[in-house]
Amino acid sequence: MSSSRTLRLISFVTWFNVKMLLSSEFFILLTFISPLIFATLAFFLFRSGGGTAGQTLLYVALGAGMMGVWSTTLFGCGGAIAWQRWEGTLELLVNAPSRYDYILVGQTFGAVVFGFYGIVATLAWGVLLFGMPLEATFPLLLPLSLLAAIVSLGALGMLIATTFVLYRHANALGNLLEYPIWLVAGLLVPVATLPFWVRPISWLLAPTWGMEAIRGATIGADPPILAIAMCFILAVAYYVAARVTLVFVLAKARRDATLSLQ
Amino acid sequence: MASAAANVPAIEAVDLVRTYQTHTGVLRRRPMTVDAVRGISFDVRAGELFGLLGPNGAGKTTTIKMLITLLLPTSGSARVMGFDVVRDTTAVRQRIGYVFGGDRGLYDRVSGVDNLRYFAELYGVEPSEQKRRIGALLELVGLTGRENEKVEGYSRGMRQRLHIARGLLHDPQVIFMDEPSIGLDPVGARELRHTVRSLVDAGKTVLLTTHYMFEADALCDRIAVINAGRIVALGTGSDLKDAIAERTIVEIETFGVTDEAVERLRGDADVSAINMEERDQSQILLVQSDRGAHITQRLLSLLGDTRVGKVVAREPTLEDAYVHLIATTGDDEARSARAASVQ
Repeated sequence: MSSSRTLRLISFVTWFNVKMLLSSEFFILLTFISPLIFATLAFFLFRSGGGTAGQTLLYVALGAGMMGVWSTTLFGCGGAIAWQRWEGTLELLVNAPSRYDYILVGQTFGAVVFGFYGIVATLAWGVLLFGMPLEATFPLLLPLSLLAAIVSLGALGMLIATTFVLYRHANALGNLLEYPIWLVAGLLVPVATLPFWVRPISWLLAPTWGMEAIRGATIGADPPILAIAMCFILAVAYYVAARVTLVFVLAKARRDATLSLQ
Repeated sequence: MASAAANVPAIEAVDLVRTYQTHTGVLRRRPMTVDAVRGISFDVRAGELFGLLGPNGAGKTTTIKMLITLLLPTSGSARVMGFDVVRDTTAVRQRIGYVFGGDRGLYDRVSGVDNLRYFAELYGVEPSEQKRRIGALLELVGLTGRENEKVEGYSRGMRQRLHIARGLLHDPQVIFMDEPSIGLDPVGARELRHTVRSLVDAGKTVLLTTHYMFEADALCDRIAVINAGRIVALGTGSDLKDAIAERTIVEIETFGVTDEAVERLRGDADVSAINMEERDQSQILLVQSDRGAHITQRLLSLLGDTRVGKVVAREPTLEDAYVHLIATTGDDEARSARAASVQ
């Protein structure tokens, strides 16, 4: 397959997945409403703790937005696989002549791009309701930070999705991953405040560096070069791991006949 | 690496075996092996419409899934258009279409045309070709004018037609249809048969599974009857009927027949097979015998007090041949296939 056809395939699958997500009330609620609820709760929590400075509010709003992005990534990638299994389309996708990892890339980025609306929504919410100042210390690095976060979260979503192809009850595991990642990735409180032994886990997670990059570009003292670089490095590592896992997963699915099980 | 040659069979299966590992129990899980397909061999010529006929659980879908590369055979081998289904998966997938019956396999929340566009992309249909191809297929399956409606609002017949259009998007040489007429109303089923026939007339090879005898008889060039994971007969519809040509079928309409009465009939030395069809108020017993219509009076006496309606003696049909084959090959093997080896 030529690279232009591959790009077309991935972008088409991304578009189709966004369209599918927009037609789901559950995802509309998850993506459009829940980040606002997270943000409101966090604003009041930080206010009651005395944190009223503009930068603190921005820190909170970005964290709440990223919580929404992570939830959408988790459900949009893993949940989409579970949904397709239930609809009986998973077998057809795996059995298509196109490479399944390209299809997964498109599906994953559809979910992540959709999820980044959460960041925009929480920022607007903070400005309108809580008088949060909208500022960026490194405005030129902000688009790059957002791109780095999208790419790394997408790659992590793809890695998670590969396990969902194999196990029909993996959705339950996906639910378990939601709240712990909010904490461990420093979306609510800084990673530096977590126990020392938790930090290596944080460093392996895309949301940690994605959050670090975006916060660095908006309220950081130094340019978030390390965080942006880590996002791309982790994205490559996740993608390679997902490709290797997928080869194993698809072979096992053909051996164990799990693709059509509901 | 294999290559497709002009005279190779479109589909070739050699001693295909497929076992599933499963378990019983919740707290004390006991592993269990189920033999779904137990050594199936057949070939399908290019341009042929080949039927796999068998009861539920006979191994039809498992066989198809091995042939379309979704399942690995436990042993044996298979080729489609000369390509090995285990090793040459991409080459096989580029040449086959897969259509199955029922409500699943479509994206309900988007329109029919969106489904087709999506799969056209996945099946590698050239972008410049997609619009023309989708339009032609919508026309072929009679969905023109309804393509922009969401699939969740489609009737079962419309969904089935959309399935067929999806399976034909990349103009495959071999089409696998797994019970495509299941759940369709008689008119929808007839239209489907017409579409299938037109595909074969256009030079496609079709492997069709069904448990509707008249469908297999009306459509298929050759039929393999599969039971408990094995092919128990293979030939044209006439060949299969010839196997019981000497038989007579006595159809007895009964009202409230008991299991004991049916067993008394089954125990008669001259009765070869019995099939029972439930109707609203009555049951139709289809009794096969080598003794012609002479046995009728004895059958009626064996039914005892059972209220009897219409009684007809007639020539056997393909359905009778099928019932005979399933009755004479199934019971012991089906049992052993299910409980093959509890370890």
